[in-house]
Amino acid sequence: MGGLKMTVMAFPFALGACATTLPTGITAPGAGFALVASKTHEATGRRSVWLQSSAQAQQVAGEIHALVHRKTITADTAVQVALLNNRGLQASYAAIGISAAEVWQQATPENPVVSVGLLGIGAPELGLFRALESVIAVNLLDAPTRQRRVAVAQADFQRAQMQAVLDTLALANATRTAWIDAVAAFETVALLNRAAQSADASSELAFQLGRTGALNRAAQAREQVFDAELAAQTAEARLAAASAKEQLTRLMGLWGTEVDYFVPDALPALPGSLRSTAGLEVRALQNRVDLEVARLSLAATAAAYGLTDATRTLTDLEVIAGAELEREREDGNSEEEVTPQIELEFAIPIYDSGKARLRKAELSYLQAANVLAEAAVNVRSEARSAETQYRGTYAIARQYRDVVLPLRRIIDEESLLANNGMITSTFELLADVREGLGSQLDAAEAKHQFWRAAAGLDAAIYGGAGAAGGGDGGGVELAAGGGAGH
Amino acid sequence: MLNRRQLLGTGVAGATLVSTKTWSQTANRSLPEAALTNAAGTQPPVAPVSGPDYNPVVTLNGWTLPHRMKDGVKEFHLVAEPVERELAEGTTAYLWGYNGTSIGPTIEAVEGDRVRIFVTNRLPEHTTVHWHGLILPSGMDGVQGLSHPGIPPGKTFAYEFDLVKSGTFMYHPHADEMVQMAMGMMGMFVVHPKDPAFRRVDRDFLIMLNAFDIDPGTYIPRVMEMTDFNLWTWNSRIFPGIDPLVVNKGDDVRVRVGNLTMTNHPIHMHGYDFKVSCTDGGWVPPEAAWPEVSIDIPVGAMRAFDFKADHEGDWAIHCHKSHHTMNAMGHDIPTFIGADKTQVTQKIRQLQPEYMPMGTAGMADMGEMEMPIPRNTTPMMTGWGKHGPIEMGGMFSVVKVRPGIATGDYADPGWYENPPGTQAAEWTGDVPEPIQVADAVTRYTDPPRSRG
Repeated sequence: MGGLKMTVMAFPFALGACATTLPTGITAPGAGFALVASKTHEATGRRSVWLQSSAQAQQVAGEIHALVHRKTITADTAVQVALLNNRGLQASYAAIGISAAEVWQQATPENPVVSVGLLGIGAPELGLFRALESVIAVNLLDAPTRQRRVAVAQADFQRAQMQAVLDTLALANATRTAWIDAVAAFETVALLNRAAQSADASSELAFQLGRTGALNRAAQAREQVFDAELAAQTAEARLAAASAKEQLTRLMGLWGTEVDYFVPDALPALPGSLRSTAGLEVRALQNRVDLEVARLSLAATAAAYGLTDATRTLTDLEVIAGAELEREREDGNSEEEVTPQIELEFAIPIYDSGKARLRKAELSYLQAANVLAEAAVNVRSEARSAETQYRGTYAIARQYRDVVLPLRRIIDEESLLANNGMITSTFELLADVREGLGSQLDAAEAKHQFWRAAAGLDAAIYGGAGAAGGGDGGGVELAAGGGAGH
Repeated sequence: MLNRRQLLGTGVAGATLVSTKTWSQTANRSLPEAALTNAAGTQPPVAPVSGPDYNPVVTLNGWTLPHRMKDGVKEFHLVAEPVERELAEGTTAYLWGYNGTSIGPTIEAVEGDRVRIFVTNRLPEHTTVHWHGLILPSGMDGVQGLSHPGIPPGKTFAYEFDLVKSGTFMYHPHADEMVQMAMGMMGMFVVHPKDPAFRRVDRDFLIMLNAFDIDPGTYIPRVMEMTDFNLWTWNSRIFPGIDPLVVNKGDDVRVRVGNLTMTNHPIHMHGYDFKVSCTDGGWVPPEAAWPEVSIDIPVGAMRAFDFKADHEGDWAIHCHKSHHTMNAMGHDIPTFIGADKTQVTQKIRQLQPEYMPMGTAGMADMGEMEMPIPRNTTPMMTGWGKHGPIEMGGMFSVVKVRPGIATGDYADPGWYENPPGTQAAEWTGDVPEPIQVADAVTRYTDPPRSRG
């Protein structure tokens, strides 16, 4: 029988004892979320939660039920519900947790590695085995680089937080925009219904005049076809409104009976005056979360670069220090012998001096720096663009409100007077009513664009515009992929 | 009603109406005063104060231009200028006219007079005056470019000629005639016979038929219109803005009608037959005059008809083209008669709460309902009589024949009181069975049976 030889590492714990102090709160279940909640509250005025238990989820579900079920919801309510209930957002929050865990991980000393070797397995002539060789090894490099690795993980953690803030803002913005779109769509339906009513009256009148012999078939059909076409158009608008509402429902993460909510029939009137947009560019530069993400990326890359620089020749170095316990059993007696042992395993930097790796890290840094610079340029431009949109759409909507619609009212009044005086016919009266409604549709659309631009203003200051600008599609993308990629 | 304050003539009242600007300009150039008014009521006749005697005419809703004698010549001063004319209550038109009004003041003179008519142009473009129907030298005929150069804006031209025949004539521009006549530039020119007793009447009325196309709610005529006029006027007035022809029972009455519209007008007077006595070509010999109850006035012509006012009452006088007794109205309105507008009305009222269905029983509701209509628009048929809405507009007036109306009194005597038993009223007794046919077959009356 061969002797059993076992190597046991004797002092790995001594080496691991110099563990880095953990950043506070990193091990808490909601690590890093407080920052997200406060930052998003600043921008949206709404509360966000990170659901981590079923009790919590139940409580939030109750809250949401109270907010939406059979209620006509405001834009603020919609945003609040989305922040509480959108599952994509929860996925994004989970990413914070993951990166927090990573910091924890990096801060924790590497566990000693136990290697067990059995010699002579499968050599029956030598008995079952000759020796069991075991070594408990610890990566000596773990301790000296821990500080830097934690820094990298921490930068990632911060970035994850900021990304979560950004996702929250984007969701808030997408929800607000979806609410605006849905309400505008219902406003369009209401206006088309009125136009359809006038067309219906024309059609009815044409029918009656056909009956008395005053209108030929072609003229009757002309009035009736308009009515019919308008009915189709109204149906289309109704469909569009339903889709717009469904988009909002998705962003709010609602299903089941919770979808029994309503949106108002019309967007709020234009405000009397505009919000101050003084120093918008500066405010955007100070507050934009995506800029913060780019900045943190740069910091993380810098930290990673430092790490690379420090370890470039030692990356693959593994120093194993330990003690070997050798136990031999012979003729019923076992003999144990402990020998201190150091094994050094390393790559000889003959071919790879780490320069390529360093170059890669350098360029990654440069890349991140350029991304940050570009982001800053874009933020400025977006701020200016948002302001232009805000002021421009306001001017257009105000033109409709203050000039076009009052003129239409005059036309309507005069049309009625002319009809009273038998100067024009009922058909002309109804045609004027319809044209007036056409202007109201245009005015409603202008108001719609203004409220979208107003929502875009917040996005320009705080971030999250990506979903708002692009119309219907943006929000879907966000809802589906909010937590992905982290 | 007459407004004495607006009485014009050679007296003080006339002088106060003359603008100082006009006065100073004309005085400096020793022109006669350009008398001016903007009143739209009928002004009393102006009796001659110099020259041969005549029986003055009454221009319905108009006035007569005063003159002065200078070196044996009758001098008049016409000022062609933009004017505002109230067509009827609630409708004012921005027109071009003479001396403050459209139509311009009537020029009255006597056969054998020599007249000198100063024409001052205050229009933005040149003008001329053509003396329609008068016999005069070619150079005085007022055809722009042909007779003489146009009168430039700001200038005064003088026309001077002898009145070689009596009769009823007109004056109007013959320069940019289409525009200037569409804008209301026209007037009447009456030349009385030398012998005041020749075919003398007691009351002599003047009516100029004219027409405008003024969109409801607007003020200025559309001068390019050729046929689709919407305001048919007498002396640039529409009913109920046209004064009545007030007549004393037993008077000999003459009505002189001129036509400067673009279509003929069959003028029909109720209660009388009358005889056509004069055209712009001259007097119709009494033995050649033919009786009528309607006389068609051709475009660009004058006709005078005479009657003895024997029949008391309120008698309509109007153009017999029924659209000409309407004010502004739409011509493209479908006929709503018999259409059931109940549902339509409900539907429309949701959009236009004040919508009123009309025309489903005819258009009389237009005369009865007083609904708001566009500003500066007189309802298409309006004016109330003693017995209800008269349902007329445009070229319509009333000849009011009453006993005991003083000479020279043209004030409205009010509505006629029909003597008992002379007014149609509801019949409550037995009514003979009405005979009706429902086809278009020719039917022959049975020949009367011979009695014996």
